[in-house]
Amino acid sequence: MNEENIKQEEQNFSFNDYWPSIGIVGAIFSLISFVAGLFFGYQQINSEPTGSFFSPIMLSGVIVCLVTSLAGLLAVWHFTREVSPKLKLGQGAVIGFLTGAVIVVISVILNELWIMLVDPEYTQKILESTIANIEAMDMPQSAKDDMIDAMAESIEQSQSFLRQIFWGVPITGLLNLITGLIGVKLFAEKEEETF
Amino acid sequence: MLKHVWLYIGVLLSLALLVIFSLGGGLWGAEKSIGHWTGNLFWGICHQMPQRSFTFNEVQMAVNSRCFGVFLGLLAGWIAIPAMIRLVHRKKWILWFLFLAVIVQIIDYSGNLFHIWENTNVSRAVLGGMLGFAASIAVFDLFKTDNKIFEP
Repeated sequence: MNEENIKQEEQNFSFNDYWPSIGIVGAIFSLISFVAGLFFGYQQINSEPTGSFFSPIMLSGVIVCLVTSLAGLLAVWHFTREVSPKLKLGQGAVIGFLTGAVIVVISVILNELWIMLVDPEYTQKILESTIANIEAMDMPQSAKDDMIDAMAESIEQSQSFLRQIFWGVPITGLLNLITGLIGVKLFAEKEEETF
Repeated sequence: MLKHVWLYIGVLLSLALLVIFSLGGGLWGAEKSIGHWTGNLFWGICHQMPQRSFTFNEVQMAVNSRCFGVFLGLLAGWIAIPAMIRLVHRKKWILWFLFLAVIVQIIDYSGNLFHIWENTNVSRAVLGGMLGFAASIAVFDLFKTDNKIFEP
């Protein structure tokens, strides 16, 4: 097979081909992230302060971060199943990055809706519960103060809708870009070596 | 010459920036990272607890030690890709290495969670680095230039 034939076999996709995989996987993972965040959030609110570092809200952060990083990989898998098994590395990167971006945007929207429509006190309750847990920790008061300040500032920053998206998309997008590349390796049609 | 060279360079620069920004406010003369733009950047993906973070220029970094290890490992692995293309011929162990790195993370985290042992900032960074490195090198062969065709 010569170079011309190889080029004919390579497909150029439009964004319309990418969006179903990006949208579906992004929406599913943002929903998982949102529901897990709420589940652990209310566990935190309803639990007695134990002083343990491994509070529900801390577990939530770790689980949500790990799970959402896998979305790029699964979006590529979805694309290879539903659109085309042949996928260039760069196309996998685009799918991964945009899936990460979609997760951030939808998660932020869902969180905002929850706070606006269902539980306006949610953020405040999380903050109070987390501070109570830190106060119960066995460590010097100065370290506790540092942690409380960090927590309060972090939660305050989460108030702005656009800031959450502006700061959230690059990092989540990059992590999903990497898993998107791994997805190309695992799921895209392999090239056969000829010598 | 690598295949997909611009993608390689783009990701390399992005990962380098990721590591630089994760050093936090200490690099930019700020007194703290939380509230600084570097802290804002990582707010959504990292708990940023002072007790579980390294310091840089005596200021807490913008991410915890495990996240910093992951980012540093991702960058180191990405830098290693050209060397791996030249030196590594067997590819199967790469994915097993990634699988192992994930399992080790889960074991380490669970051991700490259930109070079986207590990990340290250094151990968390090293294991995080292993995961990041494994994730980057997992795709090294996709950048390899050789005479290949699609099978009809």
